[in-house]
Amino acid sequence: MIHIKQFSYEPGDHEAEKASNSYLMSLIAIIAGLPFPIINLLATFIFYLGNRKSTYFVRWHCTQALVSQVSMLFINSVAFWWTIGIIFWDESLTNNYFAYMFTAFIFNFTEFVATIYTAIKARKGIHVEWWLYGPLTNLICKPR
Amino acid sequence: MMEKTLTQLLITVLLFFGTLFALQQVDWVSLFKVEEITDKTEEKLGDLLWETFKASETENSDPILVKSVDSIVAKISESNDFDKEFFKVHVLNSDEVNAFALPNGHLVIYTGLIVDAEHQDELVGVIGHEMAHIQMQHVMKKLVKEIGFSVLISITTGSAGGEIVKQAAKTLSSSAFDRSLEKEADIKAVDYLTNANVNPAPFADFLYRLSLADSQLPSIVSWISTHPDSKERAEYILEYSKDKSTDFKSILSEKTWESIKEKLTFSEN
Repeated sequence: MIHIKQFSYEPGDHEAEKASNSYLMSLIAIIAGLPFPIINLLATFIFYLGNRKSTYFVRWHCTQALVSQVSMLFINSVAFWWTIGIIFWDESLTNNYFAYMFTAFIFNFTEFVATIYTAIKARKGIHVEWWLYGPLTNLICKPR
Repeated sequence: MMEKTLTQLLITVLLFFGTLFALQQVDWVSLFKVEEITDKTEEKLGDLLWETFKASETENSDPILVKSVDSIVAKISESNDFDKEFFKVHVLNSDEVNAFALPNGHLVIYTGLIVDAEHQDELVGVIGHEMAHIQMQHVMKKLVKEIGFSVLISITTGSAGGEIVKQAAKTLSSSAFDRSLEKEADIKAVDYLTNANVNPAPFADFLYRLSLADSQLPSIVSWISTHPDSKERAEYILEYSKDKSTDFKSILSEKTWESIKEKLTFSEN
């Protein structure tokens, strides 16, 4: 699921810190973003915008953090509006709702663990590519 | 690279839906006792709301009246396989033409409505309509929609103030359900009545008559102001009951009905 790979160059300490921060950004945003999933995406997107002119290593990790948030946005938005429907409208608690919430939790939790792990590794200048998001980031983010 | 990304995307999507499908096989609702908790909330809420009405209005305890209304509810319940013990009927002294359902099977009827009914089947129709709201879970749906689930929970746990309880009581006694829920309750009421061999036509007449009275006595005729489009409702009730059986029989004897009306009219004057 997660691969440690050789990056095209050895990132400096300053770069490693910034790259690591892009993941921390999404972690901090999870706390604020629990009630509103869009906040997670916005936080990582703003961080991405701020670093898009940065070095390749920093840009690469900002992009990986961002694309991972995009997919979580879809999953979490459904969970969010379904819950709102139950609380404020006349949706009822069904087996499907619980199944969806647990699935969303499993995916969020996996992403959460991966985020912490990658933030630590990136801080040490180690390049970590995730399942799906790694190859996707390689397609989007190219060295200049 | 593109191919690898697409393959991994496909596997991830499959993994997501696979997990979802596997988790859907578990009966979470009974595992978490959702229904039990919902039932308990409804029970507490119904009793609490009834207490507010009981505190502000007087209950009519005339044995003939109470027994008669009970026998109407019992007859409809028996003919439609409902648990008649679930319905708790209360008759309140008021000249308001009103009847409404509260959570947990509480059914409140104002004496004003009984006085206004020209035929006992009109009253049976209104009772059938309110029983349909109870049976179809409309009461809780309405409360959740108008007041919110979290507030309802706070009422039952006692952390909500008396004003909120009063607001909930007012919502149920003096505001309409959604038009679709009203129609559903009307149609169900026709089914209940015909199953009990009661003619649904007087129920339609009652609606029609009150829709005419509405403009003259808006403050007293609450039931009709909370149930809009009465003419239209009378029409579709008649339309729906057209091909039902014609072998109708009233639940109460004429003598009992007359004596109830007489007593209530006398006490109102």
